[in-house]
Amino acid sequence: MPISILMPALSPTMTEGTVANWLVAEGDKVGPGDLIAEIETDKATMEVEAVDEGVVGRILVPAGTENVAVNTPIALLLADGEAASDLDAAPPPPAIPAAPAVAEPPAPAVPAAVAAAPPPLEAEVPAGTAMVAMTVRDALRDAMAEEMRRDGNVFLMGEEVAEYQGAYKISQGLLDEFGPRRVIDTPITEHGFTGLGVGAAFGGLRPIVEFMTFNFAMQAVDQIVNSAAKTLYMSGGQMNCPIVFRGANGAASRVAAQHSQCYASWYAHCPGLSVVAPYDAADAKGLLKSAIREPNPVIFLENEILYGRSFEVPDLDDHVVPIGRARIVRSGSDVTIVAFSIAVDWSLQAAELLAAEGISAEVVDLRSLRPLDLPTLLQSVAKTNRCVTVEEGWLGCGIGAEVAARVMAAAFDDLDAPVARVGGADVPMPYAANLEKLALPDAEAIAAAARATCYR
Amino acid sequence: MPTETPPAQFLGDPRPAVPPPLDRARELGIHQVLDIEGRPRGDLPDPDLPPATLHRMYRTMVLVRAIDERGWRLQRSGRMEFWIPSRGQEAAHVGSAMAMDADDWIFLADREPGAMLLRGASLQSLFAQFFGRAGEPLKGRRLPLLLGDRALNIVPCMTQVGAYIPHAAGAAWAAKLRGDGTRFIVYFGDGATSRGEFHSAMNFAGIHRPPIIFFCQNNGWAVSTPTDRQTASASFAEKGEAYAVDNLRVDGNDPLAVYAVTRQARERAGERGASLIEAVTYRLGFHTSSDNPDLYRLPAEVAAWERWDPIPRLRRYLEDKGLWSPADEEELVAQCQAEIEGAVAAAEAMPPPEPGGQFDDVLAAPTWRLEEQRARLLADLDGGG
Repeated sequence: MPISILMPALSPTMTEGTVANWLVAEGDKVGPGDLIAEIETDKATMEVEAVDEGVVGRILVPAGTENVAVNTPIALLLADGEAASDLDAAPPPPAIPAAPAVAEPPAPAVPAAVAAAPPPLEAEVPAGTAMVAMTVRDALRDAMAEEMRRDGNVFLMGEEVAEYQGAYKISQGLLDEFGPRRVIDTPITEHGFTGLGVGAAFGGLRPIVEFMTFNFAMQAVDQIVNSAAKTLYMSGGQMNCPIVFRGANGAASRVAAQHSQCYASWYAHCPGLSVVAPYDAADAKGLLKSAIREPNPVIFLENEILYGRSFEVPDLDDHVVPIGRARIVRSGSDVTIVAFSIAVDWSLQAAELLAAEGISAEVVDLRSLRPLDLPTLLQSVAKTNRCVTVEEGWLGCGIGAEVAARVMAAAFDDLDAPVARVGGADVPMPYAANLEKLALPDAEAIAAAARATCYR
Repeated sequence: MPTETPPAQFLGDPRPAVPPPLDRARELGIHQVLDIEGRPRGDLPDPDLPPATLHRMYRTMVLVRAIDERGWRLQRSGRMEFWIPSRGQEAAHVGSAMAMDADDWIFLADREPGAMLLRGASLQSLFAQFFGRAGEPLKGRRLPLLLGDRALNIVPCMTQVGAYIPHAAGAAWAAKLRGDGTRFIVYFGDGATSRGEFHSAMNFAGIHRPPIIFFCQNNGWAVSTPTDRQTASASFAEKGEAYAVDNLRVDGNDPLAVYAVTRQARERAGERGASLIEAVTYRLGFHTSSDNPDLYRLPAEVAAWERWDPIPRLRRYLEDKGLWSPADEEELVAQCQAEIEGAVAAAEAMPPPEPGGQFDDVLAAPTWRLEEQRARLLADLDGGG
């Protein structure tokens, strides 16, 4: 059967070109490497070489033809023993089926997600467990220490983590217990030490990389997203990257634009990452222990204001909270308030305000932002029929936007009001105390949004 | 009617031809075993490798050249999307990869297909990767020549220039912390030395001394940027001085010299830690199939480098030693052609990756979101969308 010579793609972006000149005529013999035609694109003129041996049987596209699509047959080549009469038997060019676009179903009455979701939330703490008061700071430290005792491959690296014991004193006591081989001060280069941590994870260790704050990790986003998150996929499943990136995220107090940004939606956007943002000390401890055991890279977003706050923590040898599960921190029946990290605190305050007005708010702490615990959200919305999302970050393309879209798609019929979003002002964080306060959500703003969804 | 002006391709004329630094190797401190004729008259002693090792080196280089020529034609005829030529750089990567032990880790850039061959990758699996077929280690997810196979201790390359240099240093550091004897080599080009990651990794390596060889293939050009626009330093090797990392320049078109200095750096790695090797070579081909080097460099410059082509140089050395004959050459060329033809035919006939498989390996275990997407895609394909 004659061989079709196809319009070549001279670059990955080329879709069409001009057959400028034929350097052979019908009846000419050609062999591999012989120049047969000149092709012009908007970038350059290129000479095309024959790949196979044969006789040019027919030129299908004459010289001077413009806008010839890539992969269009431009000539037919007769192999040894074939005659001109074989030309009409040439096969059509291979059809490349268009990839089906990734589209959400238009109106899914059945939330397909629920069927494939993890089993319902189980009690994470056995009944009767004693509780102890502990700060988030100590809970994070204990989580790292317990996991470092459990697995000799776990180690901590970052700026100031060893002798200085962390810029926010999260790594207190770790150098004393584990020594300088496992608690390592790095030079001040976020993309550099993040890359080294990623390499150490490829090399069989389980690094915990502390960013002084996630504001400084912007320099390392390429390492986190392009390298840590994509390597398992790009290596065909051969190489995973078990690593935890942790540190303070979002606004603290009076540290202005370049130290006050929330990166939750940045990382939650990316396949290949798990993203968690705990609120209280028990979840900080249990989720960090899970994150360290994960085979995937985990973004662990802490909050500086919460570091010194005390909460009840289960007095267990091994308190582990699974990634991907939300938690109902306050039950209610009129409106669901969805929050994470410090926004849970504001939401609980808002729920108190609302209770005084006779509105019963249910507060859901997402805890994990990727994967999102959609079943827990949907169950709550099915009960309350109203939903308000809260985050300190900017609303555009934010966590609330994702929650709203998912709730609307999967539970449209359950909703009695549009989903409302509460978030930070859409400006870089100002320094002045009054302006900073006005740039962040608070309990009153959340309560106002909740009232609106209740038409009150 | 006014005619449209096509977009400018390259402003200015090609740069005047720069003679190969190898012409002044001694003066520039570029170590050699072989002279331009392939005679062992350089400053380094002939390493006197066993004939079997020399044959393996030469055969691999010839096979890499043949793969490159075949792949280029396949790309130019539209049967393959993309190509990254390795022409001219065979000695630099084959010589250095051979100097590493089989358990050592290699971090690839994108012009080192010979490293895969040396570790036992089949030609068919390489061409399956080039064609984006199922059944190759990277599952049809990477561009042609962005190779790797963890089973061969070759880490699949990262596309961002130089971003993986700290990964290699970090993996070497992990080996050191664990106390095993694995050694590491990471390949990158002259352009990558401008990346912050190169400097971070070198700085770290100077402090913590992981057992790694930073192997810079200085091939003269980063796309259209010549080395004198990449750095004002006298060499890329000397950047190691700032970080207390042992460094040297070697004739990258002299496989014996490359082998010798890499082997030495490997042997020192346990005690001294990192080394930076600058292999002075030249990209005889295009940057990639999307490039047109005629716009920025002159044929005379390329021709001057053709005289330093590593393949005839090593062949003459072998002939002088009585280890190679014209009949051997004829047989090898025919054998390479036949093997490649067989591999191309077999690889091209392989099926493409299964739809649905693109949801594998995003995470170690799929989330509900991944399973949902997979189920929807398969249902769409099944029901005709």
